[in-house]
Amino acid sequence: MVTRDQVLDALRDVEDPELHKSIVELDMVRDIGIQDGRIKVDALLTISGCPLRETIVESIRTKVGAIPGVHEVEVNLGVMSQDQRQALIGKLHGGQASPRGRSSFLTPETPTRIIAVASGKGGVGKSTVTVNIAAAIAQRGHKVGIIDADVYGFSIPKMLGVHGRPTLIDQMIIPLEAHGIRVISIGFLLPDEDQAVIWRGPMLHKTLTTFIGEVHWGEDLEYLLLDLPPGTGDVSLTIAQTLPQSYMLLVTTPQEAAAQVARRAAKMAEKVNMEVIGVIENMSYYRPAPDASAVYIFGQGGGAALAKELEVPLLAQIPLDTPIREGSDQGIPVVLSAPDSPAAKAFRQAADLLLAALPVPARG
Amino acid sequence: MSPKRMPTPVEIGSVTDKTLTLVWSDGHRSTYSWPSLRIHCPCARCKDGVGQIPPTIRAMSMGRVGAYALRFVWSDGHDTGIYPFPLLRFELCECGEHGREREIS
Ligand SMILES: Nc1ncnc2c1ncn2[C@@H]1O[C@H](COP(=O)(O)OP(=O)(O)O)[C@@H](O)[C@H]1O
Ligand SMILES: [Mg+2]
Ligand SMILES: [Zn+2]
Ligand SMILES: [Zn+2]
Repeated sequence: MVTRDQVLDALRDVEDPELHKSIVELDMVRDIGIQDGRIKVDALLTISGCPLRETIVESIRTKVGAIPGVHEVEVNLGVMSQDQRQALIGKLHGGQASPRGRSSFLTPETPTRIIAVASGKGGVGKSTVTVNIAAAIAQRGHKVGIIDADVYGFSIPKMLGVHGRPTLIDQMIIPLEAHGIRVISIGFLLPDEDQAVIWRGPMLHKTLTTFIGEVHWGEDLEYLLLDLPPGTGDVSLTIAQTLPQSYMLLVTTPQEAAAQVARRAAKMAEKVNMEVIGVIENMSYYRPAPDASAVYIFGQGGGAALAKELEVPLLAQIPLDTPIREGSDQGIPVVLSAPDSPAAKAFRQAADLLLAALPVPARG
Repeated sequence: MSPKRMPTPVEIGSVTDKTLTLVWSDGHRSTYSWPSLRIHCPCARCKDGVGQIPPTIRAMSMGRVGAYALRFVWSDGHDTGIYPFPLLRFELCECGEHGREREIS
């Protein structure tokens, strides 16, 4: 005889694919009917026309169907009322469904490690580094997100091949997901992705604080990477003023001139008490063939010199490599598209050093 | 990892206190009179002088800004000053030791 508790237990393993929480915890399960081996589950979706309803139905069928003695599972989906959605929002903001209390990067106690990826100038590979480090962190089994804070020159949607509009549940934005990485970008919110963004200060500030405070990142998020615009402008300052604790990862090329401007970003980090966690040197060398010797197109030593001066580690030297560019054009980070390439190995090495330097509390 | 960490407050007094007390990560205990904090507001508007500040001025609320500063909302409505921790710790401290130092110089 199948019991209600058995069914509930099975349903506990079913997560809402967008909210990353058990549908039981979210109070989405409304009714369970048991008639011998025939089980009926009534559940409520947050919005009608939820694109992921099939995923939820499938997942309920599989989990409940695995209980010994069950031979038929019927799933009925309804849609939450305004009140039920309000209650859900309350939980997402840190009601009883949130074991760690208020889920927010705005408290200094947040277990999420926040890493702002910065560079002195554009075109050095900051976004490339961001997506590849994120992909490598996800591969290591960690929950990771990206805020594309380069509002003038956003490129994360393209590099991860993720497009579309995030779901809005009342005031909360649900991030999109690609390659196991949760992502939010201004590119998702514009009417047309190619549209130039002309920002005025207050609007910019509001958008960024929204990305940080009003996106439902999920309280299981362990690492959050921010792709900053190049230089040390308003965006970086807003972020420094909004986050109680964050780290800076500097990206530079081997050129002395690039390292020189990266120093300015480090200076700003010092002023706002952001710890520089390390330097990644990109486009370090080019190897025309696997057994050929390296060619130092952009010179040598810029990254190492910068790291030494700041007394932080040089986390990796990433070669110039066609698969990197191809990967980002196709929306797949090289760490995933060519995992055995020297570039992918270098990115993984950098990610592992970061994970070791910024461990997250064990999840319980 | 970074060699020169900024001092940060580990204890922050309350806006209802007679004078503000901050205890720092380096162990130092700072005190500040409210009017003096207001007079030394580092914002762009106050740099050229703050005018008459009544001795009864108080902060109505205060909060941390990022990892590096405090911000006050004053009883005269002013709220644009962001006070970096180094400014508070090394320049504006009025504890027995530092307050006197500045009077002499
Ligand atoms: N190591 C590399 N090898 C080859 N191409 C690279 C490498 N790093 C970056 N690129 C390419 O250079 C361009 C600029 O990189 P991007 O990450 O967008 O720079 P940024 O974000 O600093 O402006 C992109 O087309 C990217 O694919
Ligand atoms: Mg970029
Ligand atoms: Zn002022
Ligand atoms: Zn003192």
